[in-house]
Amino acid sequence: MIQLINITHTYGGKETFRNLSLNVIKNNLTCILGGSGCGKTTILRLIAGLEKPQSGKIKINNKIVTEENRIIIPPHKRNVGFIFQDLALWPHFTVYRNIAFGLEERGENDVKSKVFDMLEFFGIGEHSEKYPNQLSGGQKQLVAIARALVLKPEILLMDEPLANLDVKLKRKILEYIKKLKQNFDLSIIYVTHDHREAFAISDEIVVMDEGKIVETGTVEEIKKSEDTFVKYFLEY
Amino acid sequence: MRCKLCLSVFALFLLFVVLPVFYVFGDTVLNWTSLYNNLASFDLSNLELLLKSILIASMVGFISTILGVIIGFLIYKTNLRGRNFFKVVLLLPLFIAPYIWAVAWKDLFYLMFNNTNFIYSVSGMILVLTTVFTPLSFLIIGSALANIDSAMEESGLVITKFGRVVVKIILPLIKTAIFTSFVLVFIFSISEFSVPAFLGVQVFTTEIFKQFSAFYNHSLAVFQSMLLVVICMVLLVTERKYISGSPFLSIGSKGTTSKTYQLQSKNKYGYLFIGFWFVASILLPLIILVSQAFRNGIGILEKAFVLLLPTFFTSFILALSGAALIVVIGFAVAYFTFRNPGTEMKKIFDWTLLIVFAIPSIIFAISLIKFYNRPAFNFIYAGFAIIVIGYAGKFSFISYKVIENSLKQIPKSFLEVASLEGIKPLSQLWNIIFPFVLPAMLASFVIGFVFSLEELGMTIMLYPPGSEIMPIKVFTIMANAPQSLTSSMILIVFSITLFTILIFYLIVNMFLKKYYLPE
Repeated sequence: MIQLINITHTYGGKETFRNLSLNVIKNNLTCILGGSGCGKTTILRLIAGLEKPQSGKIKINNKIVTEENRIIIPPHKRNVGFIFQDLALWPHFTVYRNIAFGLEERGENDVKSKVFDMLEFFGIGEHSEKYPNQLSGGQKQLVAIARALVLKPEILLMDEPLANLDVKLKRKILEYIKKLKQNFDLSIIYVTHDHREAFAISDEIVVMDEGKIVETGTVEEIKKSEDTFVKYFLEY
Repeated sequence: MRCKLCLSVFALFLLFVVLPVFYVFGDTVLNWTSLYNNLASFDLSNLELLLKSILIASMVGFISTILGVIIGFLIYKTNLRGRNFFKVVLLLPLFIAPYIWAVAWKDLFYLMFNNTNFIYSVSGMILVLTTVFTPLSFLIIGSALANIDSAMEESGLVITKFGRVVVKIILPLIKTAIFTSFVLVFIFSISEFSVPAFLGVQVFTTEIFKQFSAFYNHSLAVFQSMLLVVICMVLLVTERKYISGSPFLSIGSKGTTSKTYQLQSKNKYGYLFIGFWFVASILLPLIILVSQAFRNGIGILEKAFVLLLPTFFTSFILALSGAALIVVIGFAVAYFTFRNPGTEMKKIFDWTLLIVFAIPSIIFAISLIKFYNRPAFNFIYAGFAIIVIGYAGKFSFISYKVIENSLKQIPKSFLEVASLEGIKPLSQLWNIIFPFVLPAMLASFVIGFVFSLEELGMTIMLYPPGSEIMPIKVFTIMANAPQSLTSSMILIVFSITLFTILIFYLIVNMFLKKYYLPE
């Protein structure tokens, strides 16, 4: 369970949100849906510990990880994986090394077999010696997911990971993401502005507007929502 | 830990480089008797010299910047044939000491017109300095032009004609680079000592040198120096946000999708302009220099080589030490500011390096001499350490800016992923940051090495008696040497510099291909 309790966050003197609270159920795939600048990426960064709120608490599995402008548990000890919008694949490392680097740094055994298991799962084993710039958009996406999953995180945070892909590739990757929950025992928080993506994969959807949560529910509940903003947002 | 190390490097920089400057300047200002005497000694002729220096530096800054815009545009924004060749070759004057160009221009006028009166004048000095500093302008402005997103220009081109896009969109977008170019060229020109000294043009730096070295009036020299520093600082304060915010020299930039204009029928005009500039500012002076050097056969060249031979080892070691220190300081400061953006410490780092950089070489040298010339610091003053400190003080700002710009290009998410994966800071530095900034560090090293190898204004005041350093040897001999010997020595220095750059280039290229980003 991930809990954000009365979070207030400002960026460059401007308030992103005030007293925001959110509960994310364990092993669910939760989508945060909203327009640009509504604060959805900030929620991911707060959960990961990459940013601090001005006030409020964040709990992961009932442990306080952030409290009142203080990082209690640093990012690397929260056991979270993060897929950034730009994917952040290190361009000077091969696919293999991008995935292996975290394992090596943590001093884990059987690095090679762990990396290749992951590569095989995503069907990209033959690209292990390629550099990111030699991969297609979809392959890069899978490498980024593999890199996050190889460290066996409990929570996977995905920040609009499909923003730059065409429809066909989006469908393929969305299928992978759906499988992840079953195969890796994960809680996934997926941020997007595209309600079709959210409807395709979510157990629960959180709709945000201007730093506020305006609706929470299953796909069906969101579709039936009477909220003006939700209705307006789903029209497009 | 990593930031503590950076802070320690900066603390040493403050102690060995900045403290002497503030101590000497503070001492001059706070000593009322000496201040009163200096003010009384500052007569109309001093004021005229100061104004003359400002005028020359302004002219050089203005012309170089205009030329920089034109050349930068032709090379970075058009499909001009051979632009990649010109991009490299037109930078040549930047890596060769200004006095070498002064000699080449003098030879050119001598051979072509059998008269060197023009070159030994204020106009001649402006001409020489303009050819020397225009590459700096075109590098700064060209790099800004190359980073304009094509969408900005194209959205202008669909509503108005090309000329209006240049005036209303392109020039405003690169105005920071234009200001930066003018300010930097102004500072370099007003600080320049070797060219006016060689051409016999009396300016404020030669006056300071005279007061210090000929009349031993150290207090007046420091006082006069302060006036020059104040002028440079006023300019820098005015343009500070442009200089500290702009990329300065961009190395290893991936850039944006920049628009390239098709010259088509206008290709010949562009080619004519660039071709003329290349022939007039680089090719012709060099051809003349070579012909002068070989005018009396190879014997004079051999003599020049024998004269310069004892200086090679010391000069190389000094330049290597200077370059290494410059890169260490530049990296430490850049890394600290990268990790602590927007903090007060970053502002202090920025300003400190900028102030030292803005102090003309000769004045910086005077500060070091006045500070270190005491028994406790004899180990610095009497040896080569004082020269290396001087190089570090003068050129660390360039290295800092080049490395800082390179660090800024590392996407924030690269390091955030690393943090989330629990990769230790030292490993992040080694495995993620270094591969990205390596080209900038190596470029800084080459720049630092070449600048140190050729530095004259400061070295001439700091070198220990009895030592032989290349630029000093050339400069002192050429005052009374025959034309062909001077040209031969200059040709040797020129070739050594070029050869060194080439060797570094090959090493760096080999190194980067092996360890840096894949193509």
